[in-house]
Amino acid sequence: MRKVLAIFIGFICSCRAWAVARFPKPDFTSGYQYPEIFHGAPNEWVWNILDVVLLVGMMSLVVWAAYKKRARAIIFSMSVVSVLYFGFFRSGCVCSVGSIQNVVTAVVNPDYHLPWYVLLVFLLPIVFALLFGRVFCSGVCPLGALQELVNVRNFRLSRAVSATLTMIPWVYLAFTILYAATRSQFLICRLDPFIGIFRLGGDLGVMTFGIVLLVMSIFVGRPFCQFLCPYGALLSVFSALSWKKLEITDKGCINCALCSVSCPVDAIRAPQSSRTKEERRKGVKRIILMAVLLPLLTLAGAVLVGSQSDALSLAHKDVYLYELLLEQEVHPEMEEPLEVETFHALGGDINELKAQVDDIRSDYRFYSYLAGALIGFVIGFKLLKLSLKRGRKTYEIDMARCTLCGKCFNYCPQSTSPRAGRTSPRAGRKSSLTANP
Amino acid sequence: MKDKAQLKSPMDRRDFLRTCSTFVAGGVALASGGLLAAKASAKEGDVFWQIDPYKCTQCGRCETDCVLTVSAVKCFHANRVCGYCDLCGGYYRPNVKELNTAAENMMCPTGAIKREFVEEPYFEYTIDEALCTGCGKCVKGCTSFGNGSLFLQIDQEKCQQCNECAIAKVCPSDAIQRVSNAHAYKLKDHA
Repeated sequence: MRKVLAIFIGFICSCRAWAVARFPKPDFTSGYQYPEIFHGAPNEWVWNILDVVLLVGMMSLVVWAAYKKRARAIIFSMSVVSVLYFGFFRSGCVCSVGSIQNVVTAVVNPDYHLPWYVLLVFLLPIVFALLFGRVFCSGVCPLGALQELVNVRNFRLSRAVSATLTMIPWVYLAFTILYAATRSQFLICRLDPFIGIFRLGGDLGVMTFGIVLLVMSIFVGRPFCQFLCPYGALLSVFSALSWKKLEITDKGCINCALCSVSCPVDAIRAPQSSRTKEERRKGVKRIILMAVLLPLLTLAGAVLVGSQSDALSLAHKDVYLYELLLEQEVHPEMEEPLEVETFHALGGDINELKAQVDDIRSDYRFYSYLAGALIGFVIGFKLLKLSLKRGRKTYEIDMARCTLCGKCFNYCPQSTSPRAGRTSPRAGRKSSLTANP
Repeated sequence: MKDKAQLKSPMDRRDFLRTCSTFVAGGVALASGGLLAAKASAKEGDVFWQIDPYKCTQCGRCETDCVLTVSAVKCFHANRVCGYCDLCGGYYRPNVKELNTAAENMMCPTGAIKREFVEEPYFEYTIDEALCTGCGKCVKGCTSFGNGSLFLQIDQEKCQQCNECAIAKVCPSDAIQRVSNAHAYKLKDHA
C-alpha cells in the first residue's frame, strides 16, 4: 500500500513538470472569452497605521485618565473600545504580546522580515511602561480589557500562592523565546486563550481554556494578565522602574485599607510600620542566603532545561520529521505518516535532513540553556525580592503589578475623582440612604 | 532623634536607587530599541501568506488546520491553463459510471465547482468560493489527470494574516510562504 501510494504521489509530482501540456488549450470557435477573475488584495498597511495611531492615542488617554482625571470611567470605556476594535474587529494579529516572538526571531535571524509596525507595537507599550507603568495592560490590550469587562468580584489569593503563580509568565516567556529563536513555533499565538473568542471559532482545547479563564476572571481579577501573560511579565520590569508612579490619592492616605480591598490584581501593599521589626542580623543573613541562592538557581535552571534540549527540539518540524523517519526505519510495517510519505514522494534526502537537524539541535542546546537560566534567575530574584522587607507607612501601589484599572480611585475616600467617597457604586447608593447628615 | 534618622537616610537612598534604575532601564530600552529599529525595515517585505501551488501536494491539511472554522484556503482556477474537458478529473470522481451531477459522482464534497457548457466539446468550470472548504480533492484530481489548472490558494480577503500561519506549521511540503503586497497572489496563470 505504501509503495502504491508513493508511486501515485511520485506520479503526481512528475506530472507537475508537464502539467500544462496534458490537454491542449481549447480552440474556441464561439468567440468565448476567458473570464477575468479578480482576487481581493490585502490592504493591511492602512489598518496597520490606524492600529499604531490608536495604540498611542488610547495609551495616552489612559495616562491622562489615570494620572490627571483619576477617572475609572474613561479607562473602562477604553477597555470597551479595545475589545471591540483590537479584539473583535481586528481579531488579534499582530498584537504586542505576540510581537515578542517576531522581535526575538528578527534578533536571532537577520533574514527575518520585521515590519516597522510590528516593532512599534512591541516597543510603544514598553516605552509607556517605562514612563507611566503598565498603561497598555490597562485598557488597550484586548486580552486584558476582555477580562476587565467581566470582572465582578475579587477573591483574594494568598500571597504565597499568587507569588508562585506569577512565576508562570516567566517560564512561558522563556519557552516562547526558546521556540521563537529556534524558529520552531510561535507559542504565544498557539496558546492565545482569547483569540478564539474574538474570531468566534478556533481550536477547541484552546477555546475551552479561554472560556474557563474568562469565567475565572469574573471572580479573580485578570487571571491571564497576572499569571500567564509573558508580555505582562516583561512590562512589569519596566513598570517597576517607571518614571512616574501612580498614587492612590493626592490628598494623603488615611490607611483605611479600602483601596487594597478593591484592587483586582493585588497590587496594593499594606503599610508595615505597625508590625514588629525583625532582628537585623536575621534579615541580613536571609538576604545573603538568597543572594547566594540566585546564581545557584540560575545555574540549576540552565542545567535542568539544557539537559532536556533534545526532547524540546521535537517541537521543530524538521526534527519531528527526522524522528518519524528514524522510527519508520525501525518499524517499516507501521503505516506511514503523511510527513514521511511526502518526504519520500518529494525525493528528500535523509542525510541532508540530518545535517539540518544537527544544526537545529545545537541551536536548541544553546537556547534551552539560556531559557533555563532565565527561569532560574527569575525564581532566585523573586525570592530575593520577597525576602526584602520594606517599611511602609501608607498604602502604596506596587507598580510592577498595577494594571491601572483605576478601581482604587473610586474606593478611596480621599480621592478627588467625581465619584469620591464612594466605597463602591452600589455601596455608595446605599450609604446615601442610610447616611447620617 | 529617632524620627530624624528615619526621615533622613533610608528614603533618600531608595529614591536615589530608584532614579538610577529608571535611567538604566530607560537606557536599556533606548539602546535595544535603536538596535531593533536598525533591523526593522520600512520598505515592503514579505508579510502575506501564500501557497506555492507547484509545491503543494494536496494533503488536505489546509482544510483542517487553518485557525478559521472554514479555512481561508480556497480552490482557485486558472482558466488559461484549463483544458475545458468534459471528463474533468477535478469535477467527477474517478471511475464514475454515469456522468451526471448526482452527489455520488461529484469530486467536490460541497458542490462548489460549477460547470457551464461553452461549445462542443468544452465546458467551463468555476469555483464558488463561498462553498469551497479548501479540502483540495478537486485539485488532486485535476493535477493527477488534467492540466493542473485547479490549485489551492489562500484568499487574502479571508486570511487573518496570523503572525504565524497555523497551516504552514503542519504543511508536509513547506509550500506556504510569505509574499509581499505587490505579489499578493501566487497564481498559475499570469496572463
